[in-house]
Amino acid sequence: MSAAVDGELTLKEEQDFLLHLVECRECKEEFEDAKKTKMIIKERIVQFKAPQTLINSIMQLTIVSTREPEDTLLYE
Amino acid sequence: MKKPDPTHPAKTRTKKEPLSREELQKQLEFQNEAVVHINSLYNYALHLTMNPDDAEDLVQETYLKAYRFFNSFERGTNCKAWLFKILKNNYINKFRKNSKEPGKVDYDLLKDFYHSIKDTRSDTTEEESDYFHSLLHEEVYQALHSLPEEFREVIQLCDIEGFTYEEIANMVESPIGTVRSRLYRGRKLLRAQLEGYAKKYGFNTDKNQ
Repeated sequence: MSAAVDGELTLKEEQDFLLHLVECRECKEEFEDAKKTKMIIKERIVQFKAPQTLINSIMQLTIVSTREPEDTLLYE
Repeated sequence: MKKPDPTHPAKTRTKKEPLSREELQKQLEFQNEAVVHINSLYNYALHLTMNPDDAEDLVQETYLKAYRFFNSFERGTNCKAWLFKILKNNYINKFRKNSKEPGKVDYDLLKDFYHSIKDTRSDTTEEESDYFHSLLHEEVYQALHSLPEEFREVIQLCDIEGFTYEEIANMVESPIGTVRSRLYRGRKLLRAQLEGYAKKYGFNTDKNQ
């Protein structure tokens, strides 16, 4: 069931699953509910932006050993 | 995500050669491959720690470690998954030792936290002053956090971050079958929690045949 919701079934498995849903109302309802639950989580959980200070310090960290101005990263 | 152009680092020129070309190449690649995931990592850290300061520390330590061990990152695999795993391990080492009782959620704390941070750092384009939206967000958030951690974790990694089962299995160090059944059971629990809200706000009202 989860694998069907998350698109993790093989093509063959998915075909079998869909065939099963045609004749099994219980599974069909459960499948619809699970999809909705996933959708709600996906859309309703607020994603935050990382603070700019954090981004800066991480950029800093990856160039920590250079101490050169940024123009050392020029391309030819 | 865009792969770094392999021709670029080769053309990189340094003026005073303070760094080896390899080091510069590594920096560029690291920025293209790893630093681009900073928002996802930050959100994951927030969910784990429930504290913006701790989350920042955790993300910073993760990137430090990731940069140091970047050579061992298997090229062509999912860098975001690799970073998440480092962050998770860091979190366990740092916080789990002296953790509070598991499974206990302080809803007032959660609510305060959620509101304080939402106002300043929200990444949504929606009208946040809309009471309907903020309420719904908050309820979903609380419902998610009311789940036992092992369920919440896989739901988060799957539904919010979009990792594959295989990637999740690797991250939580469990077989794929376990991931699958946790997702199944976790969603069932969530559904029970959300049913009330869902009916109220128009999701889930029709049982389409």
